[in-house]
Amino acid sequence: MIKSFSKTIMLVIGMWATLAVPVVAQEKTLVMAMSATPKGFDPDIWVPGQIEAAVNLYEGLTRYGTRTGGNGKPEVDPSKIEPHLAESWTVSPDGKTYLFKLKKGVRSPFGNELTSQDIVWTYEKSAVQKRTGQFMRTAARIDKVEAISKYEVRYTLSDANRIFLGALTLHLPAIFDSVEAKKHATPEDPYATKWLALNTAGFGPYHLQTLQGGQQAVFVVNPNYAFKKPYFTRMVWREVPSPATRVALIRTGQVQYAEQIPFQQLTALRADNSVKVESVPGFGGATVRMNPRYPPFDKVKVRQAVAYATDYAAIGEAVFLGQGTRSRSMLNSPIAGAVSAYKYETDYNKAKQLLSEAGYPNGVDVTLEYSTNWWWEEPLVLQMQASLAKAGIRVTPKRIPSTEMLARRTINVWTVPFLTHLTSSFVPDPSYNMFLTAHCRGSSNVNANCDAAMDKLIDASVVERDQKRWLALLEQAQNLQADSATFVETFLPGTHEVFAACMKGYVWKPHNRLVWKDLTCAS
Amino acid sequence: MGEKGALIAKFLLVRVAVSVPVILGIVFLTFMLIRVGGQDPVAMLAGPMADEAMLTALRAQLQLDQPLLLQFANYLFRLVQGDLGVSWQGGIPVWGEILHLFPATLELVLLSVGLAALIGVPIGLRAATHPNGWFDQLSRFGSLAGFSMPTYWMGLMAILVFFYILRWAPPPMGRLSMEVVAPTVVTGSLLLDCILAGNWQALGSALAHLALPVACFTLLAAAPMIKQSRAILIEIMNSDYVRYARANGFSKATIRKMALRNAATPLLTFLGMELTSLLAAAALVEYIFSLSGLGQWGLNAILLGDFAVVQGYVLTLALFSVFIFMVIDLIVMLLEPRR
Repeated sequence: MIKSFSKTIMLVIGMWATLAVPVVAQEKTLVMAMSATPKGFDPDIWVPGQIEAAVNLYEGLTRYGTRTGGNGKPEVDPSKIEPHLAESWTVSPDGKTYLFKLKKGVRSPFGNELTSQDIVWTYEKSAVQKRTGQFMRTAARIDKVEAISKYEVRYTLSDANRIFLGALTLHLPAIFDSVEAKKHATPEDPYATKWLALNTAGFGPYHLQTLQGGQQAVFVVNPNYAFKKPYFTRMVWREVPSPATRVALIRTGQVQYAEQIPFQQLTALRADNSVKVESVPGFGGATVRMNPRYPPFDKVKVRQAVAYATDYAAIGEAVFLGQGTRSRSMLNSPIAGAVSAYKYETDYNKAKQLLSEAGYPNGVDVTLEYSTNWWWEEPLVLQMQASLAKAGIRVTPKRIPSTEMLARRTINVWTVPFLTHLTSSFVPDPSYNMFLTAHCRGSSNVNANCDAAMDKLIDASVVERDQKRWLALLEQAQNLQADSATFVETFLPGTHEVFAACMKGYVWKPHNRLVWKDLTCAS
Repeated sequence: MGEKGALIAKFLLVRVAVSVPVILGIVFLTFMLIRVGGQDPVAMLAGPMADEAMLTALRAQLQLDQPLLLQFANYLFRLVQGDLGVSWQGGIPVWGEILHLFPATLELVLLSVGLAALIGVPIGLRAATHPNGWFDQLSRFGSLAGFSMPTYWMGLMAILVFFYILRWAPPPMGRLSMEVVAPTVVTGSLLLDCILAGNWQALGSALAHLALPVACFTLLAAAPMIKQSRAILIEIMNSDYVRYARANGFSKATIRKMALRNAATPLLTFLGMELTSLLAAAALVEYIFSLSGLGQWGLNAILLGDFAVVQGYVLTLALFSVFIFMVIDLIVMLLEPRR
């Protein structure tokens, strides 16, 4: 009986081995191991996986230029904005009116040509939804969008500003094929938001073919794409929630791209010949923030003491494993106007002295709250706990759910006194970034960073058109922020993309998402 | 309807009546716990660029600005009409997703528990007939190992050995190879649908994709099964009636049959417990092997604060448990009418 059982087992294993022939990606199909399938595709509605898909489905009127970087590879040039879906534009002398001439012959996968009506419809939809697209419209101070002729669209701004052209590089508000979208509109849903949530109708390089929630999404190339045809004609997005499984899949060549690979695995992956790791510092810094509305952080000397009691070298080694880049300001390269404003270095004696001057000669007890929005939060908090203790700042780490953190740190709620945070922005414009993170009305201002002088500087920088005065305003704002020490600037964790060895063409974009049309495979 | 039929009908009526308040209690607790647990999905749904006005509008749209009890009353009202709400993350109806995903989880759990029973009961029986012998020691070691290994770790090790090193297993990336055409959905169970469609290539692929997760889950389920079977059967083997049977010269096979018959009731009850507990534990195995079942969906919803999905997920687990225990109790009643 045992013998026959063994035979059966061997037979089953044999069959299994036969069936388990590794999947070889078809020609020009790129298979991606992603943490989850997209929950939606409408760029106005922020759901997991949406941005990662949408940047490949919808494109802007403008785009950032590229230049050759120090490593000989192409990189984004944030100082250069070029026409994209718009062929050209003119601007009024006061900088408040832009007339865009649309590129002719830009067609969606449904065959409809891009016209000024599509642009107007897009902004009308965002205004009704009052979500992300509307925020970008407000940030860029867009007052009115009008169709002048079939191929001409006029934007009227409430103030001339530097954010506007950068905002138009984005995939939001998405420029939809309104002719197709209107076919799916209903009296209750005149902008077809329900249809657009789970379907795509853009002028970008790809569009959705099938979506099986929780399993996979398949995107195919837009046959009418008006620019250089992408190398990959089919993108298979497979849901692989476990990071360890994603690592196994990329190492065995079953997928050509794997997202969100644990930082600790990168060193091993770099040594693997079958894998290629592309790393870019980006410009988002891992910070620890103090809310000046809560004692003891209402005292600037306490905040400065925290900045001096932080062991930056240890954080660089133990948390970012030597792969991070030290952050020297709330703005970091490649953002224009970034200066080394953050001068704090580890100095426990100075930290103790500042604490004493602030009225805490025996040290102070604080709770540092963190979540799991970013992989580095917990190790950073533990490292901070160890180093701050040396200056008498006794830290109690407290992990809270991501949704609780998001709710409590929201603008005008601000109930977290001491927290970890990283501001991610889509537009590498200094004024926009400062507004987001350090302005009292900034949506990524998570620690009640409300200083009238700072707000004034940021507001002035947004509308300043003189380059020299603008750079001076940026420097002042960065220095003021560093002096206030409401942010402990640590390191830029960077973006690390993991590909199969054959993959080429990756170019980091300010929205920090993978752009599929850039990719090719050498073999 | 005969006497037996009437008995079954009465039994089912009583059990359903008792289950209603249990289910209601679970629904109430789930609803309240996820809301008072500090999770607030509004900020996440609105995105990092949302201002206060957007947050307020979204909160009102999701009816989260209403008093908690009113929110519960509304939910209950819709629930009794069969409406479990929609996922806030994707706008997809929860009930539809449960119907779509549950068969995948059920396949995994039923196959694993079935195999665990086929392995665990004979091993437990053999160990019980020779307590403290080499086989008993070996089975105890085996079940201890099964207890000690976390499912997550076991899954990762299985992937490492059978997929990464040996390349025997298919990529842990879904339930079917990308090159295989899936059968038309009839039952929702991939295996059954493949058989119904006569799609043997897809059946082979589905079986290959299930092999590792089922093996891991079987090991997990077999460990307590071995221990429980052994304990039950040792007690039976030492009972007076077995001693009497031995004294009367009954064969070993007859005694084994007798013992198994008497062990059926506690073993069945234990099997029911295994089924319900493994259904809840399936989330981790599905997560590691990317099986896209109910557990993976529920786990994701818990992390994202998708209240409607979490409620639907917990309700499904509760209803499944109630159903399984009802069936087990019915079988036990039929096996032992005295009880």
